[in-house]
Amino acid sequence: MGELSDAEGDLYRAVARLAQRTPFMEVLAEAATGLSVRYNGRSTSFQCPPRIRGAVFRAWTGTGWSEVSISGLDRTSLRFAEGAIERALVHRPARDAPPGPSSTARIDQVTPTAHPVRDFAEEEMLALARDVHSWTSGVPDIHETEVQISWRVDERLYLNSAAARCSQAITRVRGIVGHMAMESGQASSDRLVQGGVGGREMLDRLTAEGVHRTAENARALLKAKEPPSGRQNVLLSPSVTGYLAHESFGHGAEADQFVRDRSYLRPLLGQVVGPELLTIVDNGAFPGAWSQIYCDDEGHPAQRTVLVDRGRFVGALHDRATAAALGATPTGNTRRSDVFSRSFVRMTNTYVEPGDSTFEELVKEAHDGVLLESGVGGIEDPQGGQVQVKARMGHRIENGKITDLVSSMALSGKVLEFLRAIRGVSGPQDFQLDTGSCGKGRTDILPNSAGGPYLLSSAVVGRA
Amino acid sequence: MSAPRTTEAAAFRVAEQLVGKEPWEVFGERIRRYEIHLNGPQVEMTRGPISLEGYDIRLFRPRDGTLGVGGQASNDFSPEGVRAAVQDAERSARYASFPTTRLNLPSGHGATGGIVEVLDRGLWEYPMDSLEGYVAALRAAFEGRTSATLSFGSVRATLVETSICNSMGLRTGYGHTTVELEVGVRASTGPEGPLPGEYWLNDTDRRLRPAELPDRVAEWCRYAEDVRRGGPAPTGSLPVILPPDVLSGILPIVCAGRLTGPARLRGVTVQPGTKVASELVTLHDDGRVAWAPMSSPVDDEGVPQRRRVLIDHGAVSEILYDTLHAGAFETHSTGSGFRGISSGFRTWYRFLQPPTVSPSTISLTAGDGGRSEELVEAAHEGLWVQEIGWSSPDPVSGAFGGEIRLGYRIRNGKIAEPVRGGTVGGIAFAPEGSSSLMNQVEAVGSVSSFSEPVFAPPILVRSLAVGGEH
Repeated sequence: MGELSDAEGDLYRAVARLAQRTPFMEVLAEAATGLSVRYNGRSTSFQCPPRIRGAVFRAWTGTGWSEVSISGLDRTSLRFAEGAIERALVHRPARDAPPGPSSTARIDQVTPTAHPVRDFAEEEMLALARDVHSWTSGVPDIHETEVQISWRVDERLYLNSAAARCSQAITRVRGIVGHMAMESGQASSDRLVQGGVGGREMLDRLTAEGVHRTAENARALLKAKEPPSGRQNVLLSPSVTGYLAHESFGHGAEADQFVRDRSYLRPLLGQVVGPELLTIVDNGAFPGAWSQIYCDDEGHPAQRTVLVDRGRFVGALHDRATAAALGATPTGNTRRSDVFSRSFVRMTNTYVEPGDSTFEELVKEAHDGVLLESGVGGIEDPQGGQVQVKARMGHRIENGKITDLVSSMALSGKVLEFLRAIRGVSGPQDFQLDTGSCGKGRTDILPNSAGGPYLLSSAVVGRA
Repeated sequence: MSAPRTTEAAAFRVAEQLVGKEPWEVFGERIRRYEIHLNGPQVEMTRGPISLEGYDIRLFRPRDGTLGVGGQASNDFSPEGVRAAVQDAERSARYASFPTTRLNLPSGHGATGGIVEVLDRGLWEYPMDSLEGYVAALRAAFEGRTSATLSFGSVRATLVETSICNSMGLRTGYGHTTVELEVGVRASTGPEGPLPGEYWLNDTDRRLRPAELPDRVAEWCRYAEDVRRGGPAPTGSLPVILPPDVLSGILPIVCAGRLTGPARLRGVTVQPGTKVASELVTLHDDGRVAWAPMSSPVDDEGVPQRRRVLIDHGAVSEILYDTLHAGAFETHSTGSGFRGISSGFRTWYRFLQPPTVSPSTISLTAGDGGRSEELVEAAHEGLWVQEIGWSSPDPVSGAFGGEIRLGYRIRNGKIAEPVRGGTVGGIAFAPEGSSSLMNQVEAVGSVSSFSEPVFAPPILVRSLAVGGEH
């Protein structure tokens, strides 16, 4: 493994030495390389990921975990970490193994691609950014177009005293084009984001047609009407469907919230929570998706976990501790935002599976209501079972037809009421996954993806 | 507060290897972090020391009438490591361009920033003991409570030696502490139904304040109980009162989007003197508020922080700059170049990100609206919005809003039943005559409080769009 290979022997020996003092020892090391360019016609800036190599050591003390993080994989740093862990184990010597299964996986994976990015350098990236920037010319009232193109290779190496060795190098490539329109001091914006795990081919999704359409949206939003307020039929675009799946069911199904007794979903496991046409999945192994991983940060392989199967809540996301506490198996969802942050149970790529309706059928079925488009974000309420999702724009639906453009709005509601009110899900032709990020609280930000097709239900919406 | 020792400070160690690379700047940090995580009242995990020491080099290279700015962060202090970081920065600078040729890095002569209280000495000397004491006080404050309990929590303390130097001779540094508190409080019994209510707090401070916990916990428990009891919001345009807890999610991002050098470069700032708010609104940017998370003697480029007027009685007054944007407009940095800003908040490590222009603490001058009760009386009928799920303002359009996590109906001039669910939102800043949040401020309270990164009293807004069940 490129950036970590020289340190693997020292890491292995450190784990082996410490394993003589505890029933279980593990280490996770990381390094990143990459480049991003930002160009808006006036200025150009480049940024490389920090040249940071680091590791977190985790030892079982008998009653809990002791963790030490270091920045640097040189022998002095490793000795510091070893010493700190040794001191923790002197105070709390462990005899029994930690709860939950320890990974014994042997994984060695690098993102496969026909068009690698490691030689995608400044000059070529800037040329592409300028090209994309020019695609907007001709759209009036566009005050600014900003193009960001980035690639990043995240390398992680996991070793433990149960003989697991998991090495992965994930390459994420993304293009973002943001447009700002302006008139009489009023501004509006829209943006196009395309990318995934892969090589340069991920940028082929950034098309002139898509860029032009986003610019037209930004311009049209200057004259958009206010969105309706109150309860109504809501038709969610794929990106908004994704936010809903992520915020409503994803966070609530992270089993550390079960263990904390902080999830409204826990008593509903095994019960019907929505119509048969609803299936929600978290899938860390989804090829090419933004949050694809080969294994999690406890060395458990990534997998497809069905959360809601044809309306029935059937599964949750687990790390080793929650799996042990709840009699389940780890699902490959233990993630750290970096080696300086603790691990949590986290989502990967969370989405609503396609149904069999067409967009036109859903508009007709809604009859009156609002279409929410261009998802901006959301926030969960795992305890109370509420959800908020925000959309940058939308359209009125009147008499079964799409009518006026409306400005940004928020959707609010009780998740279970929302799910029970679902009346249609569109087919695979509309399915999309986004390239976003997610935090646990305000911190611990991770690459994350959500998506789905169009979905029809009812909820409260209002200007936001 | 002590400056890092010259021979050891991260930035100074790197600077010794940059002779001949002028002009340059190095920002360094030596960080220790400690965390305690709670599952209910039980300690779930203790972490630390988490050690992170690193630096970011910025190089400035004139190119075709512009400035090429290249940067690289690293934690490798070896000569080879610094050389590699310099090479990366040089390569970026070769292709980058910023529309100025005027670079005015601070020299360190004259104003030094002086003393600003940002370091909790007890925490600095005894981090884990201090953290354990705080957690004990937190758990004690919940003891004996039956209607609301601690559902989870974390306390994370970060101790940082910041050092900054540049090729103009600046060598400065300071120590500072930050405490992040996350708490979930659950209220779970009552006739309103089976679903519990949660008050979820995310708070950042410069110091541990265990003595304040009994009063704060009582307030959080009351909020959690009100969330559980909360009924649906009404629908319509209503008078709304927004306390600092809500303003803190709106004002920093909107001010950064419209009242800074980058906004001016994009052509979206409002000309000084232009009315964008009610006469009652005066906003300051103040980087010297004692114990505020965004306070420091100097910004992350080494320019002293000061108090600046952003909006004076409703009219735009000053714009915030870092050194680069100041150069583009032939003015001076306002000490507003900060690293690690994300959605209006600050990450615990800063050297990994280049500087951007940001407000520090935004202070809304108290008005004559009186105490909260008097504002409520003035509203007569409407809504007090205590917490919005995520108001996510658009920095360009100023549109903000989200789900009402906790609110209260105002009926006949009194606080009435709690509200949970529904939406509230609008446009924060807009030209005079438009129905924006700031144009519609009808009263400003007289009692300010701090909600990171805003110091403000509650405000009464004439009318905001509320989406509810009926």
